[in-house]
Amino acid sequence: MIQIQNLKKSFRTEEVETLALNNVNLKVEEGEFAAIMGPSGCGKSTLLNIIGMLDNPTEGSYKFAGHEVGGLKERQRTELRKGNLGFVFQSFNLIDELTVFENVELPLIYLKESKSSRREKVMKVLERMKIAHREKHFPHQLSGGQQQRVAIARAVVTNPKLILADEPTGNLDSKNGIEVMNLLTELNQEGTTIVMVTHSDRDSHYAHRVINLFDGQIVTESQNRAVGAMM
Amino acid sequence: MFKNHMKIAWRSLNKRKGFAFINILGLSLGFGCSILVFLFVQHHLQFDNFHHNSDRIYRFNTEEHRDYIDYNASVPPGFSNAFKQDYDYAELMAKIADWGESQITVEGNGTKDQYIDLVAFAEPDFFKIFNFPLISGSDFKALDEPNTAFITESAAERLYGSENPINKTFSLENQETITVKGVLKDLPATTLFQHDVFVSYPTIKDYFEFLGGEYWGGVSGNLQVFGLLRPNQNIQEIEEAVAAFVPKHRPNSKTLHKYKLQPLSDIHFNSQYGGIDGKILWIFSFIGLFILVVACINFINISTAQSTYRSKEVGVRKVLGGQKGGLFWQFMAETFLVSLLALALGAVLCFFALPAFNAMFDLELSFRGLLNLEFLGFVVLLLVLVALLAGSYPGILLARIAPVLALKRKLSQNDAGGYLTRKTLVVAQFTISIVLIIGSIVIGKQLKYAIDSDLGFQKDGIVMVNIPKEMDAVQLNALKERLSNNTAIENVSACFGSPGAAGRNWGTSMKYNNKPESEDFNIQIKMADVDYLKTFDLKLLAGRNFVEKDTIDEVVVNKTLANKLGLSNPEELLNKEIKINGDRIQAKIVGVIDDFHDQDFHQNINPVFIAPNVENYGEMAVKIHLTNTKSALQHIESEWSKTFPEYIFDYTFLDDRVAELYESEQRFLSLIGVFSGLAIFIGCLGIYGLILFFVVQKTKEIGIRKVLGAGMTGLVGLVVQDFFKLIAIAGLIATPIAWYFMNNWLENFEYRTTINWWIFVLAVAIVMAITLLTISHQAIKAALANPVKSLRAE
Repeated sequence: MIQIQNLKKSFRTEEVETLALNNVNLKVEEGEFAAIMGPSGCGKSTLLNIIGMLDNPTEGSYKFAGHEVGGLKERQRTELRKGNLGFVFQSFNLIDELTVFENVELPLIYLKESKSSRREKVMKVLERMKIAHREKHFPHQLSGGQQQRVAIARAVVTNPKLILADEPTGNLDSKNGIEVMNLLTELNQEGTTIVMVTHSDRDSHYAHRVINLFDGQIVTESQNRAVGAMM
Repeated sequence: MFKNHMKIAWRSLNKRKGFAFINILGLSLGFGCSILVFLFVQHHLQFDNFHHNSDRIYRFNTEEHRDYIDYNASVPPGFSNAFKQDYDYAELMAKIADWGESQITVEGNGTKDQYIDLVAFAEPDFFKIFNFPLISGSDFKALDEPNTAFITESAAERLYGSENPINKTFSLENQETITVKGVLKDLPATTLFQHDVFVSYPTIKDYFEFLGGEYWGGVSGNLQVFGLLRPNQNIQEIEEAVAAFVPKHRPNSKTLHKYKLQPLSDIHFNSQYGGIDGKILWIFSFIGLFILVVACINFINISTAQSTYRSKEVGVRKVLGGQKGGLFWQFMAETFLVSLLALALGAVLCFFALPAFNAMFDLELSFRGLLNLEFLGFVVLLLVLVALLAGSYPGILLARIAPVLALKRKLSQNDAGGYLTRKTLVVAQFTISIVLIIGSIVIGKQLKYAIDSDLGFQKDGIVMVNIPKEMDAVQLNALKERLSNNTAIENVSACFGSPGAAGRNWGTSMKYNNKPESEDFNIQIKMADVDYLKTFDLKLLAGRNFVEKDTIDEVVVNKTLANKLGLSNPEELLNKEIKINGDRIQAKIVGVIDDFHDQDFHQNINPVFIAPNVENYGEMAVKIHLTNTKSALQHIESEWSKTFPEYIFDYTFLDDRVAELYESEQRFLSLIGVFSGLAIFIGCLGIYGLILFFVVQKTKEIGIRKVLGAGMTGLVGLVVQDFFKLIAIAGLIATPIAWYFMNNWLENFEYRTTINWWIFVLAVAIVMAITLLTISHQAIKAALANPVKSLRAE
């Protein structure tokens, strides 16, 4: 599903050029659950942003489901992202002015789905996330765990091929964190590919594979034997 | 999607109520001003545009060429009939002579009711040329007969109540008995003619013989001649043709007449011929636009400053598939919503401000007049314009925010609109405010100069009382004596009019020192009794006052006459002869007085001729002791009413009359004053919004400085200094702009004040003081904040 070859990403300010990713080669198969780990500033989030088509690489090739993404313009990237990718963030990133229902409905609006279809899909996913009873609440009326469940609902409502999770449990207590990780595992078991950035050793154990980054390069890759051991 | 946008827009407004309030209030004031300006401009544009064939209606005017050109909205009385006789250019020609406010007396069953109405003498074809519908009565042909009249329905109700006014009579100025032959629908406010009573033109010969005849000796400001031209006439050809009237009818006159045709649509806007200055509509429109721009700048500044708050939403939307265009239109939809709310509030504000606006400009504008397509079009256009002006820049900024940065809350100031852009916009706001303040100060200063300057005659404590035309010398002297007996009264003089602000002018050509030809300038006639110089404190420079006799043989003139004749010493004028009024009046100069302003400050001082002639007296000037005004006025009224029981007593204070000369400037000042106040207020709303963000941005710096020992004054200065720098820059930009416009404006006055340097400094200081007041609360709050908190937050 994801094929990255000799990928580089540098950031240039007026005086300094920083190389955030240096010659990264990575392959993620369909249905895989991969965790990216590494110290702060090693390039994890940059890599995730490029995989999520939120940013373009400076050099190298990135193919998503066989399509070369590296040189696409913002409009084309947006089009490709719609419906194919779902995002889960550490800080949830729900829109404060929208209700739970409206937040989850938003990606379907961008996909121009009909109102009835949206209603059906949103309610289904909210029920699955056990948050349907809060559909009319605003984000600030929910706990952190509930907010992250809404965020996951929003990520999966379009039934994407790939979910990108950026430290999804970073702002949660351990109980809620485990709940979120279980949800992601469940989705993975149903066939959704997941790439997750995490600092947490515990969370990384949910993944099939752990990729370690250091100074913009992949230094080690390891397979987890007991996936879902923490369940 | 639109619904989603509107929903989020509404919730955003609700969430940040303070900023929404600032934005909506600012824009609503802008909208309110624009609606008022629209009403004002529309009112003026509607003047006389409702007559059938209005494009073929022309007024005949005269340019009098002497040492300068006099523009008269009139022609000699003989012109109209001569034109009809000699040429076939017009379908209809009509004379109308304005007689001003006149006394109408209606006799009932042993009672006499007196009214003051605006009266004109009109020919029947006037009502064929112009479209003033008849409600009842006979055909306008009745106006061919003397002593007939058509009156408006309001006048009919006032004069005769519920009775049928047709064939009822009234007396005009206690002289002729006039029969009402028809009732007109009330004339609209948007016409040149605001009269209530139209007396048949043949009647005028009993009131002003000159206008009743076929004379060519001069023009009278009372008379206007209108023509409905045949279709497709060449105006230049007509003007060339009527040039033949000059050698034919005025072969010996030194004053060269050039007759001009003025289209009806130009009359209201041509100040040369007594219309309003058309520029004022542009000035109004631009000031309205400036206010709107100031309000839009507020909106832009506050929206861009807020964009950091909105960045997460933008980031999320982009991640979920939102495109730049969609996000831009989302923000535009929000701006549209805010603009719509502001428009509604603006209309309400406008509704409440309308009575004051009407009072300020002496108008009768109403919201009923707004129910038309033009207004709807204007409002829609305004709404779209404001939404685009205010919303597009913040919309572009928000839409182009990179989602990665937005989600990480790592937006730089540049991403959020940049300090520089915001500073530029704030400078633009301050510049507009400073220009308007400078404008207000200069106009105020010119008005003060005009009203407080030495006009060359006494204007304080002088009551001008009307006197009937039929008064004779015996009645006059008796009244003067009885008035003078009261200790509250200093002096009394009967005269044609006051030295300045006379309300009427009488100019004529003159011959000097027995020369056979007229001089190439006019002289202003001020017929007055022997007490005139004393009452108005006119200073004799040479010779003596005239001695009052039954015939005019002595005259006092002013210094300007000497100047016009090229004489350096006023003494040289003494004992020389002057002939005026086609040699009918001849008098010897016995005295020369110092100049006084016989016209307003827009105009030069004219040569003046003062001599006694009781037939021409129209007013009495009573100089009173201001400490005893009430008793003096009571005494004047009581004595006057005893002398003229048939007439309505009417008086004005001369200083009020002088002030009235500057009425349009006074209105202009009020307008600029109100609008600059509004511009500053709206600007301050925006500044207040900005200071809230500014203080948040400076929190860390303030905390560090405080820890390092900075004092309160220094910290407040830190917040304030940036704004003061912007005001100083705005002052530098505003100074040449304001100087240019105000210098141009002052050039309209022959006598004018100066634009001093301190005006610019004062304007900048005013804006600084108001800004300081606006931001000081927030600045002090920031300086007093606990540094531990701000540094911990960082």
